[in-house]
Parts: sequence; structure tokens; C-alpha cells
Amino acid sequence: MHTSSKLTKEFTKKWVKGLQICCSSKKDMDVLERKKKIKLCADIALASAKNATTSWSIALISEAKKNDENEILVDNLLGPESRFKQQKIIRQMNSCHKRVRSKKILKKSCSISQRMKKMGPPKSNLAAYIAKRLVKKRTQVLQRLVPGGESMDEFSLIKEALDYILSLRVQVDVMRNLANATEVLNQSNSSNVFD
Amino acid sequence: MSSRRSRQSSSGARISDDQIVQLISKLQQLLPGTRIQRSNKASASKVLQETCTYVRSLHREVDDLSDRLSQLLSTIDADSPEASIIRSLIM
Repeated sequence: MHTSSKLTKEFTKKWVKGLQICCSSKKDMDVLERKKKIKLCADIALASAKNATTSWSIALISEAKKNDENEILVDNLLGPESRFKQQKIIRQMNSCHKRVRSKKILKKSCSISQRMKKMGPPKSNLAAYIAKRLVKKRTQVLQRLVPGGESMDEFSLIKEALDYILSLRVQVDVMRNLANATEVLNQSNSSNVFD
Repeated sequence: MSSRRSRQSSSGARISDDQIVQLISKLQQLLPGTRIQRSNKASASKVLQETCTYVRSLHREVDDLSDRLSQLLSTIDADSPEASIIRSLIM
């Protein structure tokens, strides 16, 4: 899977860059604050490594941008060449809100008719009916887990979830490698001290 | 907006059932623990449930790793030569 190695490289580059930006500004951060920064850098790096090709990455970045503190970080990581993509992100943010709002209105107006339908499931299709409801329930949960999933239809949600899982794996691998390497260095360092 | 919604729920013709089944099987292949042959017709709801569990566990791992890294970086000895490697890389 050469695409995942490419993603690994992109992510690592951007994450390290982000960490340099974050951690150099304040020398003495407490553990919790540093952890939040590390995690934030990782998420933004992962999303920007995708270069606005997937919905979830755009949603993640637009979510991060909502916080003013992250503006500089996001801009730096996205890079100057993707300025037009930033426009895409802003447009997506706005359209997302409209879609979510109109969906909510529709849901409310349809809820009564749906309740009537739920009252009497046809006995012959009971199994299919239950299966359908389960799928719907689980889809809703997945929507909440995948960033930007609220405004996606089922088909795109599954596609995005596929890509999101692959990217998350890359993120976990890189972070784990760095953590292990740091640990090894720390250990060898402390053993040297006692020599 | 309303027309799009009714179109989706009524026909689903734009997106064939076949395609959805294909996607679900791809998703199933990604999930851990399913390397060993599973029945081809694993129910969609089960696959979705395991996907949600898997995504949650990946989120948790990222969180734990950030925790670990944060603690490691804070306890790094400022003067050691090895630490300077890490520092130049990250900080």
C-alpha cells in the first residue's frame, strides 16, 4: 500500500512541524496542556496531509479553525499553496451548517409520520424491519464518530469512514513509533548516568 | 432539499445496493479480528457496530499516546545529548 507510506511521510512531516510551532512558544507547559497540543497537532497534521481530498479532513480542519488560537497553526500546516483549499473549507463550513439546520427541521416535521409508521410493522417483514432499524441506529453512531459525518448520506459516510480508519491507523503508528523511540532514548540516557 | 431527501429514501436507485454491499465488505476487511474467514454475508449492522467500536478504540489510542508523549517529553533531561536529538526534532 504505497499510498499509506506516502501518507505516513506527509503526516510525520506536518506533525513534527506543528509540534515545533506549538512547543517552542512556551517552554514550561504542564503535562495536560502539552498533551492537548500534541493531540491537536496530530489531528490537524493528519487532516492537512490529505490535502482537502476527503470530507472528514475538511470538516476536521474547519472545526479546528473555529478556535482562534489554532488559526496560525492551521495556516502554517496547510501551507501557502493550498490557499484556495482554505476557501473550499470555509465554503464547506457554511454549507454544512445550512444542511444540518434544514435536516433538523425536516426531521422534526417527519417525526410524527415516522412514529405512525413505527407503530405497525408488517409481521411478514419483521426481521427486515428490525435489521433496518439497527442499521439506522448504528449509522447514526458512526456519523457522530467520523468528523463531519452529520451531513453525509449513508453511502458517503461509509466511504469516508473507510478512509478515516486508514488515516487513523497511520496516525497511531507514527505516534507510537515516536513514543517508543523517545522512551528508548530516555532509558539509555538514564542508564548512562549511572555508569 | 426535501426533494433530494425523498429521492434518497424512496428509490436509492442512484446508489445501487450492490455498491453498498461492496463498501460494507471493504469495511469488514479493515476491521481487526476478521482476517480469518468470516461469512460473506455478515450483517451490515454488525459491521457498522464493529466499525464504531474500532474507531472509538483508535481515538482512545491516539489520546493515550499523546498522554505518554507529553509525559516523556516533560521528563526529558535537558542536558543529555540524546535529548537534544529529540528536542531538535520536536521542540
